[in-house]
Amino acid sequence: MATVELDKVEKRFGEVVALEPVDLAIRSGEFLAILGPSGCGKSTTLFLLAGIYAPSAGEIRFDGVRINEIEAKDRNVGIVFQSYALYPHMTVAQNIGFPLRLKRVPIDESKRRVEAIARLVRVEELLDRKPAQLSGGQQQRVALARALVKEPQLLLLDEPLSNLDAGLRLAMRGEIRRLQRELGVTTVLVTHDQIEAVTMADRIVCMSKGRIEQIGTADDLYARPASLFVASFLGSPPINLVEGTAEDGAVRLGERSFAANGSGPLPQRVVVGIRPEAIRLGEGPIRGRILDGEPHGREWIWLVESEVGALRVVEPGAAPRHRAGEQVVLGWSESLLFDAADERRLQMPGPVPS
Amino acid sequence: MPEAAAWADLAARTRRRRLLVDATLWTFLLLGSLPILVPYLWLLTVALSGRTGASTTVLWGTLAVLFPALLAWSLIRLALPEGRGQRRTEWALAAIALFGLAIVTGPHLHLDNWRFLWNPLIADSLKGASGVGTKFPSVWSAFFNSLLIASAQMVMVVTVATLAGYYLSRFAFGGREAYLQGLLVLHAFPAMTLVIPIFLLVYWAGLLDTRLSVILVIVALELPFAIFVMKGFFDAVPWEIEMSAMADGCSRRRAFLLVVLPQVKVGVLAVAVFAFLRGWEEYVFTRTLLIEKANWTMSLYLFWMREDVMGTDYAMVSAIGVFYVIPSIVLYTATQKYLTQMTIGGIKG
Repeated sequence: MATVELDKVEKRFGEVVALEPVDLAIRSGEFLAILGPSGCGKSTTLFLLAGIYAPSAGEIRFDGVRINEIEAKDRNVGIVFQSYALYPHMTVAQNIGFPLRLKRVPIDESKRRVEAIARLVRVEELLDRKPAQLSGGQQQRVALARALVKEPQLLLLDEPLSNLDAGLRLAMRGEIRRLQRELGVTTVLVTHDQIEAVTMADRIVCMSKGRIEQIGTADDLYARPASLFVASFLGSPPINLVEGTAEDGAVRLGERSFAANGSGPLPQRVVVGIRPEAIRLGEGPIRGRILDGEPHGREWIWLVESEVGALRVVEPGAAPRHRAGEQVVLGWSESLLFDAADERRLQMPGPVPS
Repeated sequence: MPEAAAWADLAARTRRRRLLVDATLWTFLLLGSLPILVPYLWLLTVALSGRTGASTTVLWGTLAVLFPALLAWSLIRLALPEGRGQRRTEWALAAIALFGLAIVTGPHLHLDNWRFLWNPLIADSLKGASGVGTKFPSVWSAFFNSLLIASAQMVMVVTVATLAGYYLSRFAFGGREAYLQGLLVLHAFPAMTLVIPIFLLVYWAGLLDTRLSVILVIVALELPFAIFVMKGFFDAVPWEIEMSAMADGCSRRRAFLLVVLPQVKVGVLAVAVFAFLRGWEEYVFTRTLLIEKANWTMSLYLFWMREDVMGTDYAMVSAIGVFYVIPSIVLYTATQKYLTQMTIGGIKG
């Protein structure tokens, strides 16, 4: 298993900058997720690691050794695509054994290893079938087996679960995590699905527009987002963002003024982020009116027009406790404070109604 | 809700209407296909039964049997429900028709018109040694020349079109769009307008009266469309398969050979078949560029056999025509299962 370092790695396609200079260190055996919307440079990063793209600048190192010039075929990297990319003209066994065939592994050893890995991903019954005869989940497992059979030093997963239906996705999340732990292979998962990243990865890299916004654990990104982008990309339903102004140590949101919680200078324009699950309905000084509600099984999401602006609120419980048009009071226990100009989070707690 | 009787009435009316539609359709298709089928039937009967100067009695006899059989078959299809009974009646009809054909045409059938196959001096004996000039080539020499031109041309077209199609599909380069448009314009250009310039070009290149010249000319004319078709097939192969192959340990070339090429084999087959047939049937450029009798192809052999001031043996010309068309039919029959999967620029899911 390898450590992976990206040192000021950059990728341009002509004039277009797909990836601004990026620094990233992945520990041996770590499960890292790269999370971001489409076009954020996450797949570019993956292809740079795989050797399908060559970096325009900077250095990529596996175990401390520069591998910029090493071709994809020599990097010993396993890759799984969203479309599975199985070879349609080969059987499952031939698909899984393809990397071994290219390495000229003797036939009986190859057969043994193919069968072992097929058992591991539970496709040993399907070895004689063609990919077209498999379901999406089975194709996914075969693609995983093919990526793992050569014992890669790095496993790359490009949105591997996006084509599966919801139930299967849940099962495969656990399955991939189990395999990764069992084999201890350094893994990079690229995804736009925050749940995938949060549930599977040890650390998450959040990217936007070719830049790394933040690197950290799921808890870091959720509780201490570095920027407005990270705050709004993680969390479901999304965080409430309220624009306000700061003067004389107080933050003004809509019609109300709040005492700033920390010391230090405040920028003139700020954004306050309040998680929907941090807001309590029925207690607090802020007045508001329920506009609408959505049932979500074990909880309700209420849209509230309040003195500070429109807010989304999560309230646990299957039965509705409010109805549209009702007047309510509300408050929250914690919030995040951002500079509206550079969209970074300020190093002080956000305002809380007293 | 209508009554049960009303339902039955409705069902009966639907059945009648469907019968009427089917009958119209069958009549239309039957009449429409006759003008296409009868000439082939004629060619075949004359080739197998005609005497010198050709006679049409056998053709009329054949039609007298086949036409009623065809009508009866349509009626069977319309009247009987699908299934075992229908199939059995059809077989019975086929047996009757064959029996009828044997009675009507049997006494007239002979293989005399095919003696060009085993008598290499047939033309000289028919036309006199002075007919078209000196000694006529054997039909097998012409057959071999056609085979050589068609195969060599097919190999070149398939090789170049496959590689060029892949490159056009996968790589970006300056002038790519213009190149693609140029391909289409080239294909739209009628080849006939090029006969004289090509003749001069071939003459200057010192290739006049060589089979290579015909091969090169047809390759040049066939390539634009073949490249376009192959590019379409490669476009349909997902990138990820190639990337996977490279991550699995392939070089770009091996990924192409081991993983991409097998996905487009229907396209390769289609391009190969059409290229072969194009070379096999070529007449204009063989007529223009080949002079020496030893270089004659099947099309020229057929042409010169027919060309005679003393009167033509049309029965033998028909036999040669049938002989000429057999390889095409065999090739089509063998590959049509794959060819029907082809749409221009892709594989049907």
